[in-house]
Amino acid sequence: MKEERIKRVLLIVGIVLTVSFCLLPFIYMVMVSFAKNADFLSLSSRYVFTVNNYKEVLFNANLHFLDYLKNSAIVSVVSAGVAVLLGSLAAFSITRLPLPFKGLVLFVTLSMSMFPQVSLVGFLFSFMTKLGWINTYLALIFPYIAWVLPLSLWILVSYFASIPRDIDKQAFIDGCSSWQILFKVIWPLARPGIFSTFLLAFIFSFNEFMFALLFTTDHRTRTVPVGIALFQGLHGEIPWGTIMAAATVSTLPIIVLVLVFQRNIIQGLTRGAVKG
Amino acid sequence: MQDDTRRGLYNTPKEIAEAVVFALPAILFLVCFLLIPIVGTFVSSFYRDVSYLPREFIFFENFRRIATDSTYWRSVYFTVLFVACSVAIEMVIGIIFSLIMHEAFPGRGILRGIILVPWAIPVAVSARVWELIYNFHYGLANYIVTALGIAGSPINWFGNSVGAFFALVITDVWKTAPFVAIIILTGLQAIPEDLYAQAKVDGTQFMQRFWKITLPLLKPVIVVALLFRTIDALRVFDLVYVLTKGGPGGSTTSVSLYAFKTFVAGDFGYGSAISVTLFIIAWLFSILYIKSSRFLEEVK
Repeated sequence: MKEERIKRVLLIVGIVLTVSFCLLPFIYMVMVSFAKNADFLSLSSRYVFTVNNYKEVLFNANLHFLDYLKNSAIVSVVSAGVAVLLGSLAAFSITRLPLPFKGLVLFVTLSMSMFPQVSLVGFLFSFMTKLGWINTYLALIFPYIAWVLPLSLWILVSYFASIPRDIDKQAFIDGCSSWQILFKVIWPLARPGIFSTFLLAFIFSFNEFMFALLFTTDHRTRTVPVGIALFQGLHGEIPWGTIMAAATVSTLPIIVLVLVFQRNIIQGLTRGAVKG
Repeated sequence: MQDDTRRGLYNTPKEIAEAVVFALPAILFLVCFLLIPIVGTFVSSFYRDVSYLPREFIFFENFRRIATDSTYWRSVYFTVLFVACSVAIEMVIGIIFSLIMHEAFPGRGILRGIILVPWAIPVAVSARVWELIYNFHYGLANYIVTALGIAGSPINWFGNSVGAFFALVITDVWKTAPFVAIIILTGLQAIPEDLYAQAKVDGTQFMQRFWKITLPLLKPVIVVALLFRTIDALRVFDLVYVLTKGGPGGSTTSVSLYAFKTFVAGDFGYGSAISVTLFIIAWLFSILYIKSSRFLEEVK
């Protein structure tokens, strides 16, 4: 009885500490984004509420924040979409068709997902320069597809393998082609898995920094992480309020996505990272 | 999978060709944008390849230069220390988080969502938030540190190498401990409840049960999380690039950042050689990771 009570108190304290550990920086970010002066925690200052930072971020065209947001949205949605499509074709081949060397393909793919980005970036930069793709969406979309493919492939293989084979065998006997089996039988059954994969691929593309830093040069293709990282004030003083407003606007969609679809994301992550 | 009539010894060439067609687009992407660049980087590392100068094959010269490059070894020192500290703390906090999330209480789903938030948003963006948090004059960190009496006076986080190092470790722990917790939670969920019930009957205390039952059974999944985080922390880039820019005085320059700066300075040969050393270390860890995560059992 006593142990139960101690455990309950510990649990409540643990939950409170966990939530504050995770959210305190975000609460601070939102507070600064609505503050006239970012130094409101110092003794000589006080908190003054304002929405000017948001006005600045959303309506000052010189900051190009909405351009960054648009670029990020286009690049991540296209990359994640293509990665899921190609990943499911390959996962179908691995789980259902007589693909030669499938163990080797999976092994190499998995070890690729752990490549340090910096060991790709020099070569890719020269490659993109030769193709004339620097500062185009293509310079980001193509490497991103490859970058998120290993993870996508692994999650999809795991989902496809869990669908009973009798179902598609029946479809095969009924005269369905492999394409029909994949898109008419497997896809509808694996919908949660495909959705989880898309979400994770989207998050990874949206968060990518090093490629975007090197392969984009201005607001026409620059993405949110690079835009915010390189955001400096014009007059020496860092405009914290504006930066925090930009950070709030760009992280809000991700935060909502994560809170609503936490089950899908956790399932995808655990299938992608650990087996068993 | 073995009993599948469409696999095995009797596949026609046509069936095999179809399988290859399905897998080919993905494989082409991986080959063009991951495999060829890696091979290209290895090749480059044997060349003197500086902007505006002709490329020249110099064999192991770049690696000989690495051996005596104190800036390189300093970046190795920082990276190893960073991996050791941040991964160790992440594992401990991650295990505690997972134990909390494993308990049944109302709003558990919301807590699992909240815990994912630091992990899900771009490092480059959260690093800007932390940059402000560590602000000497009015940042949240010094406000908390002085209010709680942890330090008598505000800490100059980015003014010295120790402060900058811990600023990076704290931020990395904040971002990735939740991820570790999610991975370990899957291990916790696989432990059968009746093991605990039996231990309770035997009268063991909560902490005893943790050390004697939970931890040993979690060992495989902890090893997986540990290796995964080690590989990820070894290549740390975004965080240092945004938060400390490798400073002060180059003391927090990771191997990734050093290679990146070398590329940007136009020295592709030497930058490639540096990134090859990082690649080899990370790759060795990933072999261990793949082995311990039992990934390949799925397709066998």
